Amino acid sequence: MASVGTDPSPAAQPEQERVQRACEARPAVRAAGLAKSYGSTVALAGLDLQVAAGEMVALLGPNGAGKSTAIGVLLGLLSPDAGQARVNGRPPSQAVASGLVGAMLQDAGLMPGVRVGELLAMVRGLYPRPLPFDDLVGMADLGSLLARRADRLSGGQAQRVRFAAAIAGDPLLLVLDEPTAAMDVQARRSFWRQIHGFAGRGRTVLFATHYLHEADDAADRVVVIAAGRKIADGPPAAIKTRFGDRQVRFTLVQGAPAQLAALDGVRAVEHDHARVTLHSVDIDATVRSLVNSGLAWSDLEVGGLDLETSFLRLLGEQP
Amino acid sequence: MTGFMTLEIRRALRDVRYLVLAVAMPIGLYLLFAGLFGSRGQTAQGLPQPTELMVAMVAYGAMWAVFSATGPRIAHERAIGWTRQLRVTPLSAPSALAGKLVTALAAALPAMALVALTAVISHHVQLSAAQWPAVLAAMWAGVLPLALLGLAIGYLAGDEVAFPLTMALYFALGALGGLWMPLSTMPHAMQDIAQFLPSNAVAELGWRITGGQAPVPRAVLVLAAWTLGSGLAALLAYRRRNTLAVR
Repeated sequence: MASVGTDPSPAAQPEQERVQRACEARPAVRAAGLAKSYGSTVALAGLDLQVAAGEMVALLGPNGAGKSTAIGVLLGLLSPDAGQARVNGRPPSQAVASGLVGAMLQDAGLMPGVRVGELLAMVRGLYPRPLPFDDLVGMADLGSLLARRADRLSGGQAQRVRFAAAIAGDPLLLVLDEPTAAMDVQARRSFWRQIHGFAGRGRTVLFATHYLHEADDAADRVVVIAAGRKIADGPPAAIKTRFGDRQVRFTLVQGAPAQLAALDGVRAVEHDHARVTLHSVDIDATVRSLVNSGLAWSDLEVGGLDLETSFLRLLGEQP
Repeated sequence: MTGFMTLEIRRALRDVRYLVLAVAMPIGLYLLFAGLFGSRGQTAQGLPQPTELMVAMVAYGAMWAVFSATGPRIAHERAIGWTRQLRVTPLSAPSALAGKLVTALAAALPAMALVALTAVISHHVQLSAAQWPAVLAAMWAGVLPLALLGLAIGYLAGDEVAFPLTMALYFALGALGGLWMPLSTMPHAMQDIAQFLPSNAVAELGWRITGGQAPVPRAVLVLAAWTLGSGLAALLAYRRRNTLAVR
């Protein structure tokens, strides 16, 4: 296999073409009507999901929405009660066995008692066309960790090693289940830079998250799921408008309540006597226009992104 | 697959629990017991005392070697999610299982050889050129059911339980199997139990061969039965984990 770095070089061309051909031949992920229950708990209730080759797609949903179950099915770890999943045109377990898929699972550990370098060499050896070792180490920024014991790393370091293990086989599809859950802001930023470095080589990435801003920042397309079903699917900007509900609360001291709905970015207004809650799709614009409105108010609070409320609202709107 | 197996073996051999319990402890116990009783000449089985003790400690070390590479290790890997991570690589589940079994058996060899070497150096145990490979090979094959038992524990028991459980089994099988003191010194009821234990059967193979006799059918039958039972248990435990697939 040709050596491929983040920058396309002449040597990388045949590899890029091979990926291109594989991409055009079939979608990376195609799932239809996936259903899965655990006893009386419904995890998936007829989920449809398509990911085109080369796409970076976020699977966004609150905890318990069915994200991990969906990923389990797409990786062949779980068999659905109904519906069908195909990865690169094959049943998921076959795609995994052929080395087409790499994954970072939630809470998945590393082999204890070995060094990072030994671990990565072993994982590479499991795949038919692994990334060159040095490229792998460079992409995951592991140069300083190779001699360290894999079970004695900090959370952020372990996550880099897990990322390296997931891409060691140079998979066409990379699946990440809440990959940044335990990271601080700094680590998160460099992690997504590494993911983009990998995806930039024509690879497909599907990641689950419950952070709207993370989906917004990283993905080409966002699929929102709740209660085991897809409830929205679109570009990040559209999803953000629909789900990015934030609130401004204050006590209205003086002024006409009718003015409130006319403030910038306001989607809905709630009153609890003089206490007002504005639901905003653009919190900065709403606060700015509130300040300039001439209304008299006190005890201003700005509420964070309330994804749960947005989901519930959207679920309520579903037929 | 070979890369996976060699790394598994390397890791098993440098595990502290393995080095202490499967290598250092049998050697230490050998030196202690042989030092205490080594001059007493023939045992009840008609073997020189140092030879009989060597066989017992070879069995003892081999037993922990296969346990340490399976039960606690697999339970721990399941608990921390390494098993799951490995399942999303091209390594097939049967290969992973076979790798564990091969690793366990590979870990037994150095433990056995080092006890034998200690016996030769410290107490000049002598066997014929044919007896050495025969006794080691027979006893090595004899720990197969214990390796399978370790696999079953690894896929059934939780992380907190697996280590104490294998540890308790290791001591119980050692003591009740006549590896710590000759069976003839034990009450009859315990002797009857020992007849059916794999630990005793493994040692029995060794004692027979070092005594220049053919192994008794009882020992072979006991080991075959344990292989069948443990193998079945390991397979069912493993299948259960793999169909539930959560851990």
